[in-house]
Amino acid sequence: MEVAILFAVVIGLLLIGVPIAVALGISSTLFLLTLSDSSLASIAQTLYNGMAGHYTLLAIPFFVLASTFMSTGGVASRIIRFSIACVGQFRGGLAIAGVFACMLFAALSGSSPATVVAIGGIVIAGMQQVGYTKSFAAGVICNAGTLGILIPPSIVMVVYAAATDVSVGRMFLAGVIPGLVAGLMLMVGIYVAARVQNLPKGEWLGWGEVFASARDAGWGLFLIVIILGGIYGGIFTPTEAAAVAAIYAFLIANFIYRDMGPLKGVGEGASPISFLRKPWTLVTAWVHPDTRDALFEGGKLTVTLLFIIANALILKHVLTDEQIPQSIANSMLDAGFGPIMFLVIVNLILLIGGQFMEPSGLIIIVAPLVFPIAISLGIDPIHLGIIMVVNMEIGMITPPVGLNLFVTSGVAGMPMWDVVKAALPWLGILFIFLIMVTYIPGLSTFLPTYFMGPELITR
Amino acid sequence: MQHKARTPAGRAINAVEETLIAAILGAMTLITFANVVARYVFNSNILWALETTSFLFAWLVLLGASYCVKVTAHLGVDAVINIVSPPVRRAMSLIAAAICLVFALLLLKGAWDFWAPYGEMNATTGRWFPTGFADSRGQGWYELNDVPMPAFLNPLFAQWFNEGEAYEKLPRLVPYVILPVSMLLLVLRFAQAGWELIVGDRASLIASHEVEEAVEDARAHHAIPEPGDPVAPRHPDPKER
Repeated sequence: MEVAILFAVVIGLLLIGVPIAVALGISSTLFLLTLSDSSLASIAQTLYNGMAGHYTLLAIPFFVLASTFMSTGGVASRIIRFSIACVGQFRGGLAIAGVFACMLFAALSGSSPATVVAIGGIVIAGMQQVGYTKSFAAGVICNAGTLGILIPPSIVMVVYAAATDVSVGRMFLAGVIPGLVAGLMLMVGIYVAARVQNLPKGEWLGWGEVFASARDAGWGLFLIVIILGGIYGGIFTPTEAAAVAAIYAFLIANFIYRDMGPLKGVGEGASPISFLRKPWTLVTAWVHPDTRDALFEGGKLTVTLLFIIANALILKHVLTDEQIPQSIANSMLDAGFGPIMFLVIVNLILLIGGQFMEPSGLIIIVAPLVFPIAISLGIDPIHLGIIMVVNMEIGMITPPVGLNLFVTSGVAGMPMWDVVKAALPWLGILFIFLIMVTYIPGLSTFLPTYFMGPELITR
Repeated sequence: MQHKARTPAGRAINAVEETLIAAILGAMTLITFANVVARYVFNSNILWALETTSFLFAWLVLLGASYCVKVTAHLGVDAVINIVSPPVRRAMSLIAAAICLVFALLLLKGAWDFWAPYGEMNATTGRWFPTGFADSRGQGWYELNDVPMPAFLNPLFAQWFNEGEAYEKLPRLVPYVILPVSMLLLVLRFAQAGWELIVGDRASLIASHEVEEAVEDARAHHAIPEPGDPVAPRHPDPKER
């Protein structure tokens, strides 16, 4: 009962415009001070340990930073060029290339809105120029952008791993097949729609363009090889892989692409300066204003995400203290809910919660609630994680307050409700995908089991 | 996109805050990277790397939290406050600011109470409000596990916090001091934000999503029109304009 009031207070505070972090933090603090014997000092300590005590979460700032360097480093336009060279010649080719580019960018970035901004900012306008309607373009990118959190690396997966103590590496591997399947389903959907509506197709630019653009984009795409190869080759921990990726992205942006930093060409359209003419930039790039700006932007985004997560950890502390997960588990098991009913309930909670909450904060709160139930129902923890991530994706494009809808509305310059209507047909494809992911565990568990052996469930 | 302050002092403080955020994240990344290099190239470990990165992580987020209040970067739900009438919206935002201030004050007391024993200070008594001081000194000798004590700090620190005995490792009071400091800053920033709401310099306390500025940039870059839609989030801090 008290916990129902707790959640009601959180939602009430959110609706009057209290920041998410504060809404979570003050509700939990009031709860702990009135109903338990925790002191304010221990709450402050929980806040501090939200960061200092969670080695897994430390991967988030580094992934954010790598993604910041990659976005300022102009990798998005190179990925788009490569995608168009690969699939542009089909009917609806530019839209299919847009989905492909979102998938590739998702492999560099752990965030869906960032993917929409990076790819949508370029592709939506380009699609309109060759004759697509704006709403078709916006709808496609709005949906494909959600792959940002499903294709590794993914900030939401890191948070799930931290909340439930499963391995980040397993979660990342588990996202690969579902990510490819979802992308392919969207592409097939576009192809069918393009055939029916007779949408434009591009020209085949030849293998030369494919290889040239691949070599250009390859420097950026090698990042995913470092991350996944490094983790599964046992070379780094996921956190270290993220830090190495950030340094790699910094070097690529400054010395290969040269879209930022000391070797950037001066003036509009100027070509970058050769490294051989200014070899001392190897030192000066580290303290260049562009580097400082990227660090600051990455740091600021880290702060907003982690301040929410740290406060959500106080709320998690309340829930585990009150043994809420156990009592919910028992009442659900007593009511005779099977795995299917349970997964439907998880879907509903996440879809509704996703309307109010930032995805990583929601995972921190919901994961510990549903995790013990899933284990006792015999659901694989990795499978549960992927189901939760796909639910988050759908939450991002479900009206009224899906995150990607807002972002697409801004990037495309379209009213919110037009984006909602534009995204709706493709939302259907993602719903079918959700059902597939939910009832075919092998999609998620095959790769982690194949590469890392069967999951050991300890409880 | 950086915050534009109006006064010289404001600009200086802003530069300090932004540089600190950048520098701490840069240091975390370099230390973690250096540890990987040390392991594979020099076949050794930087023992203090993990512990240092962990507390810098806490420093980054706790210090950054107050900066994000200033530039309205904390995420929130603006679906309701965008559809109510301006007076109602103003009232809701003022209540929200008051709640934030209460939260920051409670945490400031908690942070002081937590740090005080390590810093050889007296924690406050009272459950909700400080009602006086308890005698809680005596934990100044607690040290971290791996981070060595810089030699030049030892004479002063040993005298102040450890009865003259030299520290081998960094005392815990150093990383933990960020708690009271950052919570004090958070109180000040929420009070300031509340004041700006009262005088009309600020529209709300929250941003609706993490890429608001990136969307603005993309739109400016590609000359995309504003969406003419009342639900769309278009009200950053007026000062940023």
